[in-house]
Amino acid sequence: MSAFGRVSIVGWRVIALLIFLVVWHLASIPAGKLLLPSPLDVVPAFIDEVRSGQLLAATLSSLQVFILGYALAIATGVALGVLMGGMPRVGETLEIYVNALNATPRVAFIPFIILWFGLGTPAKIVVVWFQAVMPIVINTYAGVQNTDPDLLEAARSFGARRGQMFRYIMLPAALPYIVTGLRLGGANAMVGTVIAELYTALSGLGYLIAQFGGTFQTAKYFGPVLVLAAMGMIISQSLKIFERRLARWKSTRTEV
Amino acid sequence: MSSSLLKIDVRHVSKTFHRRRGKIDSPVPALRDVSLQVTAGEFVCLVGPSGCGKTTLLRLIHGLLEPDSGDVLIDGHLGIAPGPHAGFVFQSFRLLPWRTVLDNVEFPLQIQGMARAQRLTRARDYLRLVGLEDFERNYPHELSGGMQQRVGLARALALEPRILLMDEPFAALDAQTREFMQIELSRIWAQLGIAVVFVTHSLDEALFLGDRILLMGPRPGTVEEVLPVELPRPRSDYDFRATPQFLERRAYLWQRIRSMVADQPEFRFFPRGETSAPVGRL
Repeated sequence: MSAFGRVSIVGWRVIALLIFLVVWHLASIPAGKLLLPSPLDVVPAFIDEVRSGQLLAATLSSLQVFILGYALAIATGVALGVLMGGMPRVGETLEIYVNALNATPRVAFIPFIILWFGLGTPAKIVVVWFQAVMPIVINTYAGVQNTDPDLLEAARSFGARRGQMFRYIMLPAALPYIVTGLRLGGANAMVGTVIAELYTALSGLGYLIAQFGGTFQTAKYFGPVLVLAAMGMIISQSLKIFERRLARWKSTRTEV
Repeated sequence: MSSSLLKIDVRHVSKTFHRRRGKIDSPVPALRDVSLQVTAGEFVCLVGPSGCGKTTLLRLIHGLLEPDSGDVLIDGHLGIAPGPHAGFVFQSFRLLPWRTVLDNVEFPLQIQGMARAQRLTRARDYLRLVGLEDFERNYPHELSGGMQQRVGLARALALEPRILLMDEPFAALDAQTREFMQIELSRIWAQLGIAVVFVTHSLDEALFLGDRILLMGPRPGTVEEVLPVELPRPRSDYDFRATPQFLERRAYLWQRIRSMVADQPEFRFFPRGETSAPVGRL
């Protein structure tokens, strides 16, 4: 067996990370602490932030905005997607507007959202919701729409009523698509959380980033960034595992 | 024929489909004045060339479609909606891929609102009947085609329907599996004594399974002839393909079907005496 075969993929990942850290450190020497702190400076700064409780408070504040906005997006997005998929007329009517809205940079709506909801938590939740809802609607709609018509007819032949077709055929058939929508929506919701915290009243991790960035505390700056990266990874990985479990019965998986 | 024994009574049924392209509505006649009676415990096979309305007739009997004129009576009742009176077995199996074998068989019972304990017992009974009791926790994609269709059969039978409707159920299977399934089906049919209407393209299959064969003609679908099959049962006990009755009927049916399709464009490649086909001109 070659040397490549003996090292596990986790091993390779650690090696890649170490190489990255060394390159980072080497690059920080000519750049200077102000522009690029070495990872050796970032670690103690991170420990300081955790010890002072500053990072935890900011994370909890961001998490609150994220969870409320994301939950609202799931509830409304799945409902609208199922409605559009189950009633073809509604779907055909709204499809073009949903796609148009999805293609519009949603940051463009932030001044308008502030006009309506102010600068506090409600406005932030709306920003997160607006970022997250579109992929959820679009994927749920596609999932319900792609339900095998043969299965619907089979259910009808056993005497299934409309509600039973929704519950027993359309929803389970759409579930893998819905989870894909949730994964994409979750990533968007993370982006939305930071955007909301930067563009409305400063708060949470977004506030820390703006604060440390603006005052040249670059070593501390990487703390909240790391937390955001970890949050995003946890959310998307857990949904990916869920997606795989759901796809057990499928021979081919659809990646969006 | 006593009327109380009459399970299916199709009386002078006609059906036309409408193909709409923009504002142009072109009617496609599917069935014209079709009648069919099936008595309790009888096995009737529908054969005929493509486009003769076999499947349409099956759907009309089930109530998935409504006739434009004529009546369909099941056990003497008119206008029955699709439901537990009939078990339907599809060519493409149509099992729910996200449900296990057991959950697939109990699905129609769940639709009917049967209590869980009761439907589990019922589903297991019919899985045993088709010989799949050891596969109840498997998912459909883990089974072979023949096994999947046995699940489809168990699912249809678990409803304990008055009639069993089968739409080319073995057409998607390989030849060997198909023969085993035919033997299996005739065993189950003999055991349950249920009336069956079975659509097939295979004359061998129709002659092996059927008490009667309904020969249908195309465009629009009509009943051309009803042929009794008097071969003794069980037909798997002897070489029924070697009997003169089988050979005669098979040759006759094949001749009839061939003459029906001779004028259709998709069969023009058959060389015929009077046509001036460009054979050998190049």
